[in-house]
Amino acid sequence: MYFAGWIPIGLFVAGGLGQVGQGRSVTTAAAFFLPLTFVYAFVCLSAWYVCRVFPMEAGGRIPRAVAVHLVAAATTSAVWVSLAEGWAAALDALFPGFDARALHAEQRSLLFVVGVLLFWLVAVFLYLLIAFQASREAETRALELSLLAREAELRALRAQIDPHFLFNSLNSISALTSSDAAAARQMCLLLAEFLRATLRLGATERITLSDELDLAERFLSIEHVRLGSRLLVLREVDPGSDECLVPPLLLQPLVENAVVHGISHLLEGGTVRMSASRGASTLTIAMENPCDPDRPRRPTPGIGLDLLRKRVATQFGDAGDVRVDEASGRFRVEVRIPAVTAA
Amino acid sequence: MSEGRLSVVIVDDEAPARMLLREFLTAHEDIDIVAECANGFEAVKAVAERQPDLLLLDVQMPKLDGFEVLELVGNGPTVIFVTAYDNYAIRAFDVHAVDYLLKPFSAERLGEALGRARTRRQTREKLPVADLVASSRPRKAPIARILIRDRGDVHVIPIDKIDYIESQDDYAAVKALGKSYLKEQTLADLETLLDPARFVRIHRRFILNVARLSRIELSVTDSRAAILTDGTELPISKTGYARLRELL
Repeated sequence: MYFAGWIPIGLFVAGGLGQVGQGRSVTTAAAFFLPLTFVYAFVCLSAWYVCRVFPMEAGGRIPRAVAVHLVAAATTSAVWVSLAEGWAAALDALFPGFDARALHAEQRSLLFVVGVLLFWLVAVFLYLLIAFQASREAETRALELSLLAREAELRALRAQIDPHFLFNSLNSISALTSSDAAAARQMCLLLAEFLRATLRLGATERITLSDELDLAERFLSIEHVRLGSRLLVLREVDPGSDECLVPPLLLQPLVENAVVHGISHLLEGGTVRMSASRGASTLTIAMENPCDPDRPRRPTPGIGLDLLRKRVATQFGDAGDVRVDEASGRFRVEVRIPAVTAA
Repeated sequence: MSEGRLSVVIVDDEAPARMLLREFLTAHEDIDIVAECANGFEAVKAVAERQPDLLLLDVQMPKLDGFEVLELVGNGPTVIFVTAYDNYAIRAFDVHAVDYLLKPFSAERLGEALGRARTRRQTREKLPVADLVASSRPRKAPIARILIRDRGDVHVIPIDKIDYIESQDDYAAVKALGKSYLKEQTLADLETLLDPARFVRIHRRFILNVARLSRIELSVTDSRAAILTDGTELPISKTGYARLRELL
């Protein structure tokens, strides 16, 4: 394709510099300039190296690249002109009366200018090619990244269910089987419902806040079997918030933390309060629980909160926000995301 | 306790879990359940009062975890840990727990653990459990609080509440919140557990919380004294002064 593009260029050079109008023969012009142009097509490929080494990018050193191209074009063209001289001599020697040397001598400076311009033309073409390739690569990379992110998200969702929650629940069931068979059965059903909902909702992009809170409540009702009166739950949702859409299992790390790092460290337990309110354009969801200020702490923030922050950041960017606040034995996490309902 | 019988204290913060243990234990003729505790404080009290042979101990509990309970009750009862978490197993055997039951467990598995406990009681090993617990503590992180047992009661003192600690022979008197708490541990032991960036051994007999230091006074006899924010005066030895200067 590159060389096909050079055919019109060759004809153009032969026509423009051949001086056919001034009595030169068409054969002389064609025989002299056409091969010369094709040889130059090869020579100009050397521009590739220059383009590679001195990329034209925003923030790159463009003046330097331009200077390099000036020198490279002049050098290449000069080589071309001297090559042309040799070619003309060869033609004259082979075909006496061909008059190629005279033609070359007359058009030497113009040939040099054409050589420089052609070199730059090739350079521009190559830069475009490089930019095109780069954008294609960037596109593929972006696609790959979004696939990876989605996969990571799904994996994270599955990992959000702490296996110890299951072990403890199974132990409760084991305990209830002989003393209270109905309660054991109820616990099995709760657990199955919760796990099924997790799997089903985890595969969807968005669920309503009321579904999300139902799921959280189901989790807490399972934990209630274990913790008894130490765990109380309060749900306060402003009208209009229920229908807002949220990423599935967004609150799961929060309810889990509320139990594992909050309620379960307190002798008397307390109330996990889930609330939501809807402003003009934002939905605010808050999870609040009492906590023991002297509880043993991990040196780093937990993965649950970290995961929540990442999800909100990747899905909502600057429109989302997670605030964590602990004061005088209360732990509160507030999540703000754009209030969107299904059409 | 009558010979050949095993008195047991059950410690778990979850009612169903305690219920399950009680149910499984009724099948064993030689077992007497002498107490059921829903948290670490109750456990320490029950052990002090009832002197059980065996402790069935959950790890994750409010206020005091299973290991902290063990540190406080010392080498009295034999211990079987009962937990849903498998990541404490190595530590559990470091402190010479006879077994480590993973929830949920079967009656047979509990029976096996009880068998081991009986064997252990017969050999009547006496082990320095408190030391073992201390040495099994994850090494790198300095402790965040000091646990002190006062008969059946337990005081949990966050280390930033400590003013200073004074050596009293084999005990250490922890001065905090305007009171003095006696801990059965030497000052040298405590020193290794505390964050060296916050606590300095300023004297053979004193460890100081640097945050409480108000100023250092030079007395006529060329010895130095630390004046604390509440006005208390503590002697500083030569090496203690060098340590303090290095930190400040």
